[in-house]
Amino acid sequence: MPLTMNRVSVPVTVDAEKCIAGKGCTVCVESCPLDLLAIDKEKGTAYMRFDECWYCLPCEKDCPTGAIHVDIPYLLR
Amino acid sequence: MNGLDMEVDVLVIGGGTAGPMAAVKAKEKNPALRVMLLEKANVKRSGAISMGMDGLNNAVIPGHATPEQYVKEITVANDGIVNQKTVLAYAQQSFSMIEELDRWGVKFEKDETGDYAVKKVHHMGTYVLPMPEGHHMKKVLYRQLKKWRVDITNRYMATRLLLDRNGAIAGAMVLDSRTGEFSVIRSKAVILCTGAAGRLGLPASGYLFGTYENPTNAGDGYSMAYHAGAELSGIECFQINPLIKDYNGPSCAYVTGPFGGYTANAKGERFIECDYWSGQMMLEFYRELEGGNGPVFLKMNHLAEETISTIEHILHTNERPSRGRFHEGRGSNYRDAMVEMHISEIGLCSGHSASGVWVNERAETTVPGLYAAGDLACVPHNYMLGAFVYGRLAGESAAEYCAVRALAAVESDQVERERARVLGPLAHRDGLPPSQVEYKLRRMVNDYLQPPKVTRKMEIGLQRFAEVAEDLTRMSATNPHELMRAMEVHAILDCAEMAARASLYRTESRWGLYHYRADHPEKNDKDWFVHVQVKKGDGGDMSCFKRPIDPYVVPLDEEEKAAYDHLRITKQAAVA
Amino acid sequence: MDLLDIGEEDVMVPLLVRAARDADASVRAEAARCLEGMESESAIGGLLDLLVDDEPEVRKAAATSLAEIKEASHGSQLLDRLSTADGFAKASILRALRELRRTEAYGPALQALNDGDPGVRAAAVGVLGYLKNAQALPHIARLAKTDPDPEVRRITVGALAFAQHAPEVGAALVDALKDSSWQVRDEAATTLGKLGDRAAIHPLVEAMDDPYWQVRLKATRSLGKLKAAEAMEVLTQTLSHAVSNLRKEVAIALGEIGNLAAVPYLEEALNDPDPDVRKMCRLALSQLGALKS
Repeated sequence: MPLTMNRVSVPVTVDAEKCIAGKGCTVCVESCPLDLLAIDKEKGTAYMRFDECWYCLPCEKDCPTGAIHVDIPYLLR
Repeated sequence: MNGLDMEVDVLVIGGGTAGPMAAVKAKEKNPALRVMLLEKANVKRSGAISMGMDGLNNAVIPGHATPEQYVKEITVANDGIVNQKTVLAYAQQSFSMIEELDRWGVKFEKDETGDYAVKKVHHMGTYVLPMPEGHHMKKVLYRQLKKWRVDITNRYMATRLLLDRNGAIAGAMVLDSRTGEFSVIRSKAVILCTGAAGRLGLPASGYLFGTYENPTNAGDGYSMAYHAGAELSGIECFQINPLIKDYNGPSCAYVTGPFGGYTANAKGERFIECDYWSGQMMLEFYRELEGGNGPVFLKMNHLAEETISTIEHILHTNERPSRGRFHEGRGSNYRDAMVEMHISEIGLCSGHSASGVWVNERAETTVPGLYAAGDLACVPHNYMLGAFVYGRLAGESAAEYCAVRALAAVESDQVERERARVLGPLAHRDGLPPSQVEYKLRRMVNDYLQPPKVTRKMEIGLQRFAEVAEDLTRMSATNPHELMRAMEVHAILDCAEMAARASLYRTESRWGLYHYRADHPEKNDKDWFVHVQVKKGDGGDMSCFKRPIDPYVVPLDEEEKAAYDHLRITKQAAVA
Repeated sequence: MDLLDIGEEDVMVPLLVRAARDADASVRAEAARCLEGMESESAIGGLLDLLVDDEPEVRKAAATSLAEIKEASHGSQLLDRLSTADGFAKASILRALRELRRTEAYGPALQALNDGDPGVRAAAVGVLGYLKNAQALPHIARLAKTDPDPEVRRITVGALAFAQHAPEVGAALVDALKDSSWQVRDEAATTLGKLGDRAAIHPLVEAMDDPYWQVRLKATRSLGKLKAAEAMEVLTQTLSHAVSNLRKEVAIALGEIGNLAAVPYLEEALNDPDPDVRKMCRLALSQLGALKS
């Protein structure tokens, strides 16, 4: 069946300057209860892969370098 | 078979609140047991208390309340439909659990002399024990899991339970949500601790994951127990909670109440007559919300600056800490104005209401070798402390059962059928996206099941659900994560059907808003002073039946019931 | 938290203690966090060392982890370090000692009441409050009156709740009802109710004139607990106060006091606009045997 890709604004922002995923850190990926974050191997940073956020904040709190910011999803803001 | 295929004695499914406790207690009972804790997320940050909890609201502490008093209150709060033995078992073990958690490092509020700072919220007994430093609950539990060498397996979703030829537990089938691998775990006993069915109704925002409950709790356990032939009970007694409007955090009456905050109408006046967080209270809330004095607000702007700072500190560091960020975005502040509230989408959750897998006072379900604890186990209004107590009971009961039980043989046809179901969505690339099927299903749940319940609407709902059932086989998944979501949609659909059938079966109104049937508006004790059970029939169809209520172990005489009701609700005074 | 997954505690502690000496402050802070709950002498020694780290973040993490110690036997190790510690470290060690309730902590805590740092004094009061040793009462009572820091005075007033039959404590609490900080007055009104000394009734009645309704609410609650018939007049007047939280508390107190003179007032308040107040009036009337159904 025909499918399309829709653009959505996602709540989790990663500061590429601070993120140390390139050095092997996966703390945020492991702490997300919904398994929404992933590492972009080429850029060496974490990013939000799925827009299924509960804005519960473990990723932000557990990040060792303070690279993550969680916003309230736009639909609720 | 594949990667994880293995054998254990006790398999605990769900590593949130009850699960870690069950695993630790099974090991404590018999350290030689192989105990595996299977978790869909990561045990360190999973479940309803991933960011901690700000207090206990059902603490039965000597000197403040007695177990008997608590059982009476829960009996009244749940309109009489309780298996009192289960509630009494909780109440009797509530305090020893608090003491144990305290020893483990959970910080309960104490006064300056080290006594528990129990707060008065209900008027019959006193049950609220705040936990202003409750944000590291999960760390405390994790430490115990390491200490007792529980085998922790993260990022796996259990999809169905395995049964032996006599219908007793033989293990579970699981999906690796990162690789999409399907495997079998053989076990003597399974303890279900998978939490609420929180992704049943759709939040008013339309955002699928903006639910009251942690959205990983999609109702997997309700569905697994059902397909294993277990009885479920009180499914028609939905969970509906008061919330901050648009933000899915609770109203936190138990946090703000002791400080003087309260729920008010547009005039800034209290309107709730009912004491206990119950369906009756939610009905009053709903009527005010929809009425001329609505909407409803959380009022704190009469409190002192220092008090509001303390409340903010507690609310913004525990349970749902993004709350502060939400208020900031809206420019709202507890000091300046009341904060608008709303009601949540519907869910199934015995922690808050009464809908769950039927258990007795040993946490045993009706399936041999299957135990349940926490939000999915039917022990009304059990909350977090009840999850811990029933986790302990389940762990100990399962350990005892293992002593007299061998691993059962695996029936390969069960495995092959399930493998085909689970891996089906990977087979075709261009089917329906699971997120779209889920959206449609949950929108139908809102349209047809949200109280006030209407017979004809629920019947139409069942037709729509049957159509969605056809769509399930047309779903496709492009990666293992999406495959997990697809399997969750299967569970959500089972829960939706159970919710509709149980609600249709009970032709009366009970539990305030939770089961308010517009075309059967009265409570009818003559015909409906019974549990309503849901079970998979022999033909594979869903069946409902009545289960009589066991004689009360803590009887309430008529006078007591009347006195309570009289204090709780007086209609003529409410008009004034 | 991920360092925790490497292995069992006996393997972990030496590694973490070494990490606690790392040149990188974020590594030291992480080590401090991971040492939480590891109850061995070397783990606690490592945390005690970090209490005097140059970086505030590291010190804070170490203090938080130390406060998690549960085994009373580790108290001696903490006490040994107390004499040489100062300021932040001293307060942190005292806070860690509080839950352990070691009798040996009594002397050092008493001494710390005179410390120049309010954080240390507050933590010392905590230790004494949890120990519930009556000999400490005069010292705590003195602090309730004289400490320049309002938060220390508030904690002190709360810690006096274990005093039974100690007139000097009663006097200190009555003075505290007139403290300049409303939170101290609030705590004093609560503590007087817990102590159950009827000599507090008159001062609590006077506290019903406090400018803060919050303080009046606590005084009301305590007057109810003390079954203070002497408070009937001021309480029945307060039944029409603008803040409903206070009216509700008054209704509860009138039920507890058990004086039938309250009946007409409670009956009138059955028409209160606030359902909680009405409910408590019904409850009070039924306690007085005067509820007409």
